[in-house]
Amino acid sequence: MTEVVVVTLIKTAIILFALLTAFAYLTLFERVVQARLQARLGPNRVGPFGLLQPAADGVKLLFKETSGPATRDRFLYLAAPVLSLAVAFTAFTIVPVSGPTDLVVLGHRISWYVTNTNVGVLFYFALTSLGVYGIFLAGYASNSKYSLLGGLRSSAQMISYEMSLGLSLVPVFIVAGSFRLVDIVNAQRTWWFALPLLPAFIIYMIAGIAETNRAPFDLPEADTELVAGYHTEYGGMKFALFFMAEYINMVIVSSIATVMFLGGWWGPFGILPGPWWFLLKVVAVLFVYVWLRATLPRLRYDRLMQLGWKSLLPLSLAMMMATAVVVVAVQR
Amino acid sequence: MAIAVFFVAAALAVAGGIGVVTFRQPIRSVLSLVVVMLALSVEFLLLSAQFIFVAQLIVYAGAVMVLFLFVIALLGPARETGRGRLRFQAALSGLFVLALLGLLWSMLQGIQYRQPDQGTDLSTFGTVQSIGIGLFTKFLYPFELTSLLLLVAAIGAIYLSRKEGDDR
Repeated sequence: MTEVVVVTLIKTAIILFALLTAFAYLTLFERVVQARLQARLGPNRVGPFGLLQPAADGVKLLFKETSGPATRDRFLYLAAPVLSLAVAFTAFTIVPVSGPTDLVVLGHRISWYVTNTNVGVLFYFALTSLGVYGIFLAGYASNSKYSLLGGLRSSAQMISYEMSLGLSLVPVFIVAGSFRLVDIVNAQRTWWFALPLLPAFIIYMIAGIAETNRAPFDLPEADTELVAGYHTEYGGMKFALFFMAEYINMVIVSSIATVMFLGGWWGPFGILPGPWWFLLKVVAVLFVYVWLRATLPRLRYDRLMQLGWKSLLPLSLAMMMATAVVVVAVQR
Repeated sequence: MAIAVFFVAAALAVAGGIGVVTFRQPIRSVLSLVVVMLALSVEFLLLSAQFIFVAQLIVYAGAVMVLFLFVIALLGPARETGRGRLRFQAALSGLFVLALLGLLWSMLQGIQYRQPDQGTDLSTFGTVQSIGIGLFTKFLYPFELTSLLLLVAAIGAIYLSRKEGDDR
């Protein structure tokens, strides 16, 4: 009993540290990749190759004077960023980083995940549906029209795309026959699900980008019309918390994509240990995120909603039924 | 351990319930209700009803309450005014509380804490698979009829929300 608690606490600490580091360097990664795609250099002055840039940004945000609208709802204004970040952190507990054998440290067998529940990915959906609160409350508590509009937009967008996000994963459950992420990765030992279930993978990626409010679906913070959307009235570290939540959500969507479609820790030829394959695939998906941001213009709001409800949702339903039919036909 | 978690969640649920009725700002009431939902989901998890735990989070906390928030945000941060109180309101509410407590007490008298039925496989109890099998075999007709009812309700809501002469 105590061993379970201690091991879980240590794993949680590692995840917190890893995700915060991932956040810091993802900002740098994004800026450098985007700069290269636009034939610029990007940040390269702070430290070797600009590697200390995230630290400089962090120190700057820490020492910024905090200010907020006088008419804000003080409690909710503070709770909103904390809630966003807490939800983002919690989601990573279900991701198995490596496998299939446990890690052995000093005679203790330690699994490569924090939880491997029977509900598995459904837990992730539960958390994403709670993530709406952070953004919505930020927009509401700021008592500013830009914030409120941004908050409303983003919660409407997240609710709409959650459906497609969830349904696009159903074919994976059908083929793998389990909700457990470990079982799903083990089912992909020979073939990644991205190959037979390519349409589902594409739907998942589109919905995942919309779910994390990233370009080209970054309407909640459309700076040309809404200043900065729900976090207009946030500054300093409170703004940084929202920023962290957004980037950590990107990491989580990429991790789930890796686990569900890209074979998780399995790699060809066994040339690299599991965790490295996992990391490599997550970075590859994150690169696509940045690439899209540098390439595509922002969608108009009504088109975004039409894409979600009239294209992605029916397509994911059709994909689900087609997969079910094929699986049953093959089993017969 | 489980007992401690139970009491923490139960206390939160009760505190949230009190918050729903005592807060003056509607948004605080809604958030208190969210706290109740979250606390209840923890209790479901303690009963090893894993699927109901996530369903509670996704459906109630994630969808229904967000709709409540939408309505409140669109109506504006109006505060409830002090008017419209009955003269005997305090005495009346006390009476109702007593009646409710009596009802609860009489219900708890007859309760039997029973083990799951003999032959229940505890390793699959409350899992997605066991609930799915139940829904698609034993309870198929009620399940499908409920979905039909929901579909009718959705169509009705869309029809009613359309304005007269709005042909789009």
